[in-house]
Parts: sequence; C-alpha cells; structure tokens
Amino acid sequence: MAQAQGTIVQCIGAVIDVEFPREAMPKIYDALTLADTGSSLAESGLTLEVEQQLGDGIVRCIALGSSDGLRRGMKVASTGAPISVPVGPGTIGRIMDVLGRPIDEAGPIQSDERRSIHQKAPEFAELSPAVELLETGIKVIDLICPFAKGGKIGLFGGAGVGKTVTMMELINNIAKAHSGLSVFAGVGERTREGNDFYHEMKDSNVLDKVGMVFGQMNEPPGNRLRVALTGLAMAERFRDEGRDVLLFIDNIYRFTLAGTEVSALLGRMPSAVGYQPTLAEEMGRLQERITSTKVGSITSIQAVYVPADDLTDPSPATTFGHLDATIVLSRDIAALGIYPAVDPLDSTSRQLDPLVVGEDHYGVARAVQATLQRYKELRDIIAILGMDELSPEDKLAVARARKIQRFLSQPFSVAENFTGQKGKYVSLKETIKGFKAIVDGEYDSLPEQAFYMVGGIEEAAEKAKTLQ
Amino acid sequence: MPGTREIRNKIKSVQNTRKITKAMEMVAASKMRKAQERMRAMRPYAEKIRTIAANISHANPEYKHPFLIQRDSVKGIGIIIVTTDKGLCGGLNTNILRLALGKIKEWEAEGERLEMCTIGNKGLGFMQRIGANIVSQITGMGDAPHLERLIGAVKLILDGYLADRFDRVMLFYTRFINTMKQEPVMEQLLPLSGERLGAPEGLWDYIYEPDAKEVLDHAVTRYIEAIIYQACAENLASEQSARMVAMKAASDNAASVIDELTLIYNKNRQAGITKELAEIVGGAAAV
Repeated sequence: MAQAQGTIVQCIGAVIDVEFPREAMPKIYDALTLADTGSSLAESGLTLEVEQQLGDGIVRCIALGSSDGLRRGMKVASTGAPISVPVGPGTIGRIMDVLGRPIDEAGPIQSDERRSIHQKAPEFAELSPAVELLETGIKVIDLICPFAKGGKIGLFGGAGVGKTVTMMELINNIAKAHSGLSVFAGVGERTREGNDFYHEMKDSNVLDKVGMVFGQMNEPPGNRLRVALTGLAMAERFRDEGRDVLLFIDNIYRFTLAGTEVSALLGRMPSAVGYQPTLAEEMGRLQERITSTKVGSITSIQAVYVPADDLTDPSPATTFGHLDATIVLSRDIAALGIYPAVDPLDSTSRQLDPLVVGEDHYGVARAVQATLQRYKELRDIIAILGMDELSPEDKLAVARARKIQRFLSQPFSVAENFTGQKGKYVSLKETIKGFKAIVDGEYDSLPEQAFYMVGGIEEAAEKAKTLQ
Repeated sequence: MPGTREIRNKIKSVQNTRKITKAMEMVAASKMRKAQERMRAMRPYAEKIRTIAANISHANPEYKHPFLIQRDSVKGIGIIIVTTDKGLCGGLNTNILRLALGKIKEWEAEGERLEMCTIGNKGLGFMQRIGANIVSQITGMGDAPHLERLIGAVKLILDGYLADRFDRVMLFYTRFINTMKQEPVMEQLLPLSGERLGAPEGLWDYIYEPDAKEVLDHAVTRYIEAIIYQACAENLASEQSARMVAMKAASDNAASVIDELTLIYNKNRQAGITKELAEIVGGAAAV
C-alpha cells in the first residue's frame, strides 16, 4: 500500500486536496510527500498531513512547509505512516524543525530511532501524582505558585508583560541547575528569541542537555500546529526511558492560533470568538500527553499568550484547566514597573497546600495574599476619600501591602542588560523568611522603596541604609 | 477585563458614594458657618475675662495665683487634646495626633510623667491604642460645645497642677485660620505666662468682696476655661471646614472615577456589539 500515488486537485493556502485511487486512500494523519522529482518543492521535502477524508478518493491535507509554487496536477506519494521525527540522545544539543530535520547547520541528526508525533496519552493507571517541590529561585513564584516536579505550569500574560523573559529566567534557574534533560519547543514566537536561546544555552555550556524544536512565526500554520507535538515526542521518548525531562513551550497560544488558521481553510465553521470548533479537543490532545508517568516525569512550563488581557478568552480559558500551577502576569503590575509582573492574587498552584508545602509556607503565602487583597479592596476608598480616612490598622495594612508588592519584584539574570542589576536567586527558605517578616511588621520602619528590586530581605535592609 | 455587569454595579456604588459625600459637603458647609459664628461670639467674653484677670493680677503684686507661678520642681505634664468626634474630615485629626504623638514620645524619652484629658472620640481612640494614661475624657460634644460639660474633665487636670503633679499643662487643638487652612497647634496652658495675660491699659482697681485673692482665683479659673472653650470652638470650626473641603475633594474624585469607569463600560459595550456583529456576519457567510 505504501507509495500509493495521488494528484493534487486543489490548493488553498496551506490546505491541499489530493485525489488518490479509491483502493489506496491514505489514513488520517498519514504523511504524504511530493513525488514530482525535479521540482524544488520536492527537494525541500514538502510534507502534507491528511486531516480529512472528503470522499471520492479525495483527502484534505495541511502542508507542513511553504506551499509556494505548488500547483494542481502534481504527484503526491503516501508514506503510509504519520510524520515521525528522530528522537533519543542524538537530538540533544541540536535544533530541529517540525519534521525533525536539523536547522542548525551541524550535519544530519545521528539517531536511528524515530517516533510518530501523534501518540496516545498515557493511560490512567500509568499516571503518577507529583508532590515534590521544584525551587525556581524566583520569590513570587516559589511563594504563591510553587512548582511540582512533573507538574504542568502555565505562564499567562498579555502582549509585552514579560512572559518570555520570565520563562528564560526559569530556564536559567531550573534547566541549568537541573541534572536531567530539557526540551524547548518554540511555537510561533520570534525567530530571534530562538536564536538568543540557542546562544544562551551554548554560552552557559548546557547545550549538551537541551534539545530544541522551532516552528516560529515566519512558518506556515501547519508547522506551528505540529511543532509542539514534535517537541513533545522528543520529551516523551526520554520520559519513557525513565528520565526526568523539562519541557518548555513558548507559546501554546500560537498552537491554538495555527489551529484557527487551518480550521477555516479546512471548511469548519468558526465557533466562539472565531476559534475552531475543535479547540477543546485539540488542546486536550496536546495537554493530556504532557504528563508524568510512573516511569519518568515531564515537568512542563508553557507560556500562554492572553489576547487583549482577557483571561476569559476561549484559548487561555481552555488551557487553564489542564495545568497544575498557573502564573498570571498582569499589565497593571507591569505598569508599576514591578517585574516579574506576576499577579499574586490570580496566580495559583495545586501545590499550595499545607500538606505539600508545609504549614509555614502556606500560612505566609495566604497572609501575603490577604494583605494584598485588603489593599485592593481599600484602593477604591483611597481613590475617593484619601489615605487620611483609613483606620490606623488599614493604613498599616496598606503600607505593608505596598512593601510586599515591591518585594515581589526581583532582578533577573536574563534581564541584566535591561535593569543593569545582577540577577538574584533567592532560596525558598529566604523567600518565606522575608515575606513572613514583612507581614509580621518587622520591617515597618523601612521605606517601601528599599524593597524594590532586591533579593533576600537582608538586602532590603541594606538598601534602606543607602536611601537615608 | 471585568464584565459589563460588574462595571455597571461599580459605577452605581461609586455614584451612591458621591451622593453621600455631596450631602456631607453641603451639611458641613452650613454647619461651618454656625461654628464660625460661635467661635467669634466667644471672642468678646474671652477678651473681657482676660482683661479682668490681667487687671486683678497686676493690681495685686503681693499675691501670685498658683497658675501664674513658674516651677521646675516636678516632672510631669498634663495634656489636654482636642479632636473631633467623627471622621471624614481629611487630615485634621491625623495632623493634630501626629503632632501630639511626636511630643509625647519626646517627653516620655525625657522621663516626664504624662496624664491626659481627651476631648473628642478620635483622640480618645488613638490615645487608648497607644496606651496613654488617660485620666478624663469627653466625647459626643455635638455641634455646640457647652462649658459645663468641659469643666469636669478639665478640672481633673487643673487639680493635678494645683496638687503639684505636673509642672505644666499643654493644650493641643486645631486652630482655625480660614476655610481652606487649619493648623495643628500646641499651647502651654499652665503656668500662664504673664505675656499672655498681658498688661492692663490703665491703672485702676476694683473693690473686692470678700477679698482680692478670692476674686482673682475665680477670674483666672474662668480665664483658663475660656481658653479651653475657645480651643473647642476653633476645633469645631476647623472640623466643619475641613470636612467640607475633604468631602468636596471626595465628590470630585468619585466623579473622575465614574468618568473612567463609564469610559471602560462604553468601550466594553461597543466591543461586545462589534464581536457579536462579526460573529453573525461570519456565521452567515459560512452557512
């Protein structure tokens, strides 16, 4: 059945219809390749993936690559199998595209092992619950939304509030210290960022632990739709071998967006806000595979763009449900100049539970949230009546909340160029100690500016001396 | 982004707040006029009693009233602090209490023994919170301070001075300068400085019954009471004008908050309409 040939009968952008002999129809998700030898498209290895069976021997496919120069009547051959990419040790330290071809100009990828990008999600019985904490060195994240090893973490944020920078800092703090392997999937983000990331990893000598897959914003929707799966296939391979893998995906929203672009061309009726009607299904398929099993774990950190800062938009809303911890980056906080602009009231983690993190940590985190919540409630009163009308207790709460707000900022190693300050890694113990002291009022005497862009609480005390 | 309904509710609640602040502003404005009149009405009496006290003390150099004697023998200060009963009058109480707190800390550091008489709810609450030694209190003075109500509480402090428990008595209140400006002040009430009492214009004397000492004692006490009453009256006038200004500012702030919210509400509403239109048109085209 392999090598059945078909003919292109329609091309609309990234969506291609191919007619096959009725007895040799390719299956859904089968990969097709151009069979016209001599055409530049065939040489560049243009691959199509079957999405729909239209009947009469016609299949509707999406092109994984540019469809420029494609014309009706071209011959297409079925490979009889889904797209598979090289996986295993050979992929480490390399950059691949969605089809598993190297794009780092460092020769072919040395791996005999290939794996289909479409896989079943692990069964119920195979899953393992995650409880061990993963320290990130970022105060606000460790305190409010602690990560679990093998957990799924989402970084939500609108345009330009620092998702990528926060993610880079997490990579810097976790992946560099992490003894295991990391996989980075760049989905529809800036090509420059991919390049920066590669050099960052190279300069810090951790390239031999990182595999990278990129399908950035210059690529057609088919690539952006499948590149996350390619990265995932790589990570799954290591997990099934029993390793602990870190999977970074920047940005899940581009995956949804590519799906939307393709969906309309495939002839599906758009659903709410113009998204594809199969949004939840597509997201579920991807997310359910990113999970830890009894054999090995995948700790995934995913950036999620929030269109128009609206968390109720179907795309981020669908993603929410799949995650263990959600970090919400807020524009209001970024506007105050506080980076990372994590919203401590919106961000949550399943791990923030006294049985997991301990009473001490839990108590401090909730006290911090309570103080900030009180401040938020009082803001309307302050806006109308002024600070003078607050009771002394409320005034104190406001003062502490403002200190906490500033203490939640932290200089990043990856942002040294922008802030001119050396990045700070703050251990979880230090973080809890610092916030506990502020909430308990031990630092009521320091000016709030002293808490801005410092690491541990001792540094705030140091800074206060220079301010006076 | 909050939903349309939430914004509408918020606008409504701010509008209600504005209604209240607006009403309070107008009430304060009318009370302010009365309070200022009362303050002015007090002045002729205070002036007269001062002249009498000055005259008597001047005419009898051989007798010195204890309120007039300077002494450094005792370490102790009596404090009378005048604040308002109600809030929502801007920084009035905050300012006077901040001034008082600064002084109290200073005196405590010097090892002075402090006793306090608070007039007004706000001062009482504050002093209780910082754990001050309150010997007497007056609250709920209302819009017209009555001397009878003041005397009892103030007497405790004056008696303390007579009984040599303090070497001075300090009075804290907010002085009314004009509608826009009120100033927290600290005055030394006792011992009365000769300058404050002043010298009489002419030299003449009264005929005393039963004797000069008795009359002088009374006149000086009346004078002290007049000063305290005057402080209360000034504080009341200050309170009303401060409240009027604060409530005006609050109403203006509320108006600008409403404007902002209305803008967001309209934008949201328009975005919703546009989205629905786009979806209908898109849907119709797809069908």
